[in-house]
Parts: sequence; structure tokens; C-alpha cells
Amino acid sequence: MDMLALFAPPELINGLLLKLRLGQETINYVVWPFIQIGAVVTGVAVWAAYATYLERKISAFMQARLGPMRVGPWGLLQPIADAIKLLTKEDLKPDRADTYIFFFAPFISVVAAFVVFVVIPFAPDWGVITDINIGLLFVLSVSSVGVLALILAGWSSNSKYALLGGLRSSAQMVSYEVAMGMALIGALMFARTLSLSGIVSAQGLDSIWYIFYQPLGFIIFLISGIAENNRAPFDLPEAESELVAGFHTEYSGMRWSLFFMAEYAAMIVVSAIATSVFLGGWYFPGAWRLGINYPHLFVAVSLLVFLTKMAALLYVYFWLRWTFPRYRYDQLMDLGWKWMIPAALLNITLTAIAVFTVQALDGWRGMNTVESIARGVNLTGTGKLIMIAFGALGVFVAAGMLSYINHGARDFNLKKQRVGIRLVSPPKGQTAVASAATAAVAAE
Amino acid sequence: MTLTGWEAAFFWVFAIAALVAALLTILARNAVHSALFLISTLVAVAALFVLLGAEFIAGVQILVYVGGVMVLFLFVIMLVNVGAEERGNEMLFNRPAQVATSAVFLVLLSLGFIYAIRQGYEGLLARDNLITQEQRAEAANRRHARQQDLRPTATGTSRLSQDTQLVGASLYRFAALPFEIASVLLLVAIIGSVMLARTSKQEAATDDLELKDEG
Repeated sequence: MDMLALFAPPELINGLLLKLRLGQETINYVVWPFIQIGAVVTGVAVWAAYATYLERKISAFMQARLGPMRVGPWGLLQPIADAIKLLTKEDLKPDRADTYIFFFAPFISVVAAFVVFVVIPFAPDWGVITDINIGLLFVLSVSSVGVLALILAGWSSNSKYALLGGLRSSAQMVSYEVAMGMALIGALMFARTLSLSGIVSAQGLDSIWYIFYQPLGFIIFLISGIAENNRAPFDLPEAESELVAGFHTEYSGMRWSLFFMAEYAAMIVVSAIATSVFLGGWYFPGAWRLGINYPHLFVAVSLLVFLTKMAALLYVYFWLRWTFPRYRYDQLMDLGWKWMIPAALLNITLTAIAVFTVQALDGWRGMNTVESIARGVNLTGTGKLIMIAFGALGVFVAAGMLSYINHGARDFNLKKQRVGIRLVSPPKGQTAVASAATAAVAAE
Repeated sequence: MTLTGWEAAFFWVFAIAALVAALLTILARNAVHSALFLISTLVAVAALFVLLGAEFIAGVQILVYVGGVMVLFLFVIMLVNVGAEERGNEMLFNRPAQVATSAVFLVLLSLGFIYAIRQGYEGLLARDNLITQEQRAEAANRRHARQQDLRPTATGTSRLSQDTQLVGASLYRFAALPFEIASVLLLVAIIGSVMLARTSKQEAATDDLELKDEG
């Protein structure tokens, strides 16, 4: 049992603090949150640093290279070397830049990305800093502030590349925020709370991951999340081939690395939200039994489970980045407004119908679908099967609806684009002549 | 009704921050700086909402105003040339008549404001029967008991408020029709703005439908 005492950090720290003549109230409300905040900030910063290492390694393996190998064994100390390099670099400011905003913008970015971690349920009990009733809304609203940093950085740099990057990013993030928020509503109908801890425990009580009820919602959330983070294939704000480096072209040294860290922290946030809303968060089979016998071991194992799920989603980010080419700007906007948002709206409608149907079926011809709806929708085996069937059906319905809406669209149809760009479709064996209609359009 | 302890400290910090940022919003010469100070005001007001126990409103305030409306404000400011106001011309708004008008307006506004606050405070006291000290203590006890009935949070140190559920329930139970009317209004606004922004050339060229080829 001595080994298990290692998994009881709260008691140890609590005892130490009580010896320092601090009241229990002060410890609960002041000291303990500060310890958790410090742990999370350090953890996220280290994770962000090593995410760059992993990204380089994964990209290297995908391209049959070795990646960083020189600093430390397998290049493990590379992120630390990078951090030292960035810290000691000169902090340049462009001529005629708006000094205050230029210096201030990276901090907005970092704060918006880090504050969100306050409500993320890494584990039950002491594994979460705070649990508020508007958890998910808080995450969405604070991460929407992050776009301000990008616009301000782009504008204050007094450079055309940075300004274009900033404008692109604001348009992109504002459009994808809508789909991202709406993709979560379906899952909220099952959890019946906005508190992230509440959503996780609702999944635990129902012993299911909401990805099975909400496959469509999960896909929409993941795509919009990647677009919201300006990651490839949606990294238009920093498209190297067009904009040098987008909104952070003029930044150097520490300020540039703050943007970089914020980007990786925002990636971790989106993965954490996807994990807790769709992948069951810290919940794992047999969690409750372990929780009764060894409460602190339970928290530690839950933390590990959560981090594993999150890491898997982060891998998807890297995977996509090195698999897909960058979208064109009009394709990006079309994907947001004509594919993601209609699909998200459809998902809300279908989920509402599904929840209603399952509740209506309860008690019909001896069927038993609903166990309780007190703390989230809690379904029996039959109810779960019906709900999963509805979820799978939703994917196909959405695919059908989207292909109907975008039937004549040219966004992703290369053949039609070619025809459209040339504005002619010459008959076989004849030279291309602009038709009357297209000539009129071209002349206008 | 009076604030005590940390609540009072936070109230004064955020209230003064909101006022100072609001003043700087109209004093700043650069339009982008003005927008930034307006954002600071909105954030401070959101913090005051949290102190009032209206977390949902605070979250929505940040999401809609800071994350949406102000981003579009900045977008427009950056696209439109606002150099003329920045380059000085201090006398533009400082003629005696203008100063006198604003002073009179300020006095009227503050008088009305003080009157409204006094009326509102007395009305609140009368409504909740908080005339004597005992009644106030009893109301505080009732509030505390209501707080204790709520579900504990995951950390177990405090209680989860129910205001999101209350907002949702009252929105759909008592205000469903106004809500729907507002949504129709927004839809009209969206369609109208698209119609205004779209030229006939764009209609033809960037419409998703393929151009008809007669040739």
C-alpha cells in the first residue's frame, strides 16, 4: 500500500500547506488552484514544445527521413535547443509599426489559448481545475478571442503580407467558429449540461462515447477545429507560397515563439474538447470500480487515459498536415459555409428527431429504451442500438444532402473548374471560341 | 445588498476598468485603439456579469461581442481608410458650442442616471421586503439554502449554478415567439446584405451554377 501513497498528491500537499498555517479555505480556493494552474501551464508549454519535435519526427517518417537526430539521443533535446535559440534572438520591430499593439498581440494569443485549460476535465476530482456551468461556452468564447490576436498582429506589423494574413485568418476563423459550435449541440442534447466535467460523467453513466451517437458531429467538429487552428490543409493565413508567413511575418524571437506556442496550445485545446465531448474524456471501462477502491490511483489512470486519447487526436493533426495539399481560399470558404454549416444544422435536426423517437419508443409494445434522463440521457441496450443506428444514418443523410446542395458547385470538381476557368467547352475537333453568354460576362 | 470581501474588491476593479476603458474608447485617436479599448470594456462588463451570478450572459457576451462583432469591427476599420482623424486637426470637435452642448447633455444624463438608480434600488428593496435588517438576513439565508441545493462541481469545492438551464427554459417557455421573430429578422438582414453586396457580374461569374454554353 505504500506504493499507492505515491498516487495521493493532494493529501501530501494539503498536509504540507496546513503545516504552513494556511487555513483549509485558503488552500481550497487559492493555493490549490494556483498549483493546478502552474502544473497545467508547465505541462502545456512542455507538451507544445515536444509537439513540434513529434511533428518533425512524424513528418520525417512519412517522407522516409530521420528528422532531428543531432541534439541528444534521437534529437530529444531539440525543442530545448530551439527554445534557447528563440529566447536569445533579437526582438525586431518593423519601422512605423504600431508599437503597443505589435508588442501586445502575441500575449492575447497565448492567454486566449491557455485560459481555456481552466475548465478542461483532465481527470475527475483533483484532475480538473474548476468546473463551471458554462464550461463549453467558456471554451468557445475564450478561444474566439484568439482571432483578435491574429488580426491585430497582422494590422500592427505595417506589412502587406501580414495584413492579408490577418484578414484571411479573421474571415476563416469567424466562419468556422459557427460550424464548430453547432457541431457540439448534438452531443449537448445527450449530456444536458454545458459543464465539461458533467459531459464526461454523463458519458460514463451511460457507458458510451458520444462519437457513436454523433459520428457526423465528430467529423464536423474535427474539420472545423483544424480550420479554426489554421492548421494545414487550412493554413491559408500563413500560406508560405503566397504570404511569406502570413500574420507573423514581421515577428521574430520570443514574440514569434509565443504565437507558435499558442497555435500548439490551441491544437491541444481542440483535441481535449473533442476527447471530452465525443471520446468519453477520462472515462474508461471499469472506471467506477477502481474509483471506489483506489480514488487517487483512479485519478492518475484517468489522467493517462485522457492524455492518450488526446495524443491520438493530435496525431491526426500531424497526419492530415503531411497528407493533404492546402486548399484554395474560395474552396476553404465554400467548405465552411456550404458543407460544414448545413451538415451541422442537419446534425442538430436529426439528433433532435432521434432523441424524441427514442423517448417516444420507450414503453411502446413492451420496448424499454430509456433508463433515466436525470443526469444526461441514460439509455438501455435497445435505446443505444437505435441511437447508434440514427447516428450512422445521419452520416449518409448528410452526404446525400450535401451532394444535392453542392450538385452544380465547382469547388471540388476539377473538371468543372477547368471548363469554368477557360469559360469555353469546345466541341471535339473545333477550335475554342467564346460563346455569346460567356463573352458578355467577360466584357461586363 | 452591499458588497463585502473579495466580491467588493473584484467589483471595484472591474467597474473602474470598464469605466476607464470606456473613456479611452472615445479619447483614443486611432480607430483600432478605440476598438481595442471597447473590447476591454466588454470584457470587464462580462466579469461584472460573472459577479452577478449570470455566467451564461457573460459567456455569450464574450462569444458574440468580443469574438464576433468586434472582430468584424476591426475587419472594417482595417479595410476602410481612417487616416484623416488620426492626423490631428485638434480643433475639429472643440468649438465652444459643441463643448457646451456636450456639457449640458452630460449633466442631464447623470441626473437621469442617479434618479433611475435610486428608484431601482428602492424598488428592489420594496419588492423583496428587505426593509429591516432581519429581513435582509433572512433573504441572505434563503439564497444560501438555494445555493446548497445545487449539484456540487467536479472539484467538490463549490456548487454548479443553474442559470444556463434557467435561461434556456424561460427562453423557450415564455419567449418562444419573440425568439422566432428575432431569428426571422436576422434572416432578412442576412439576405438583404447578400443582395446589396452582390453585383450582377458576381451573380454570373461566381455563382456556383455552371455557365450555359450555347456554342
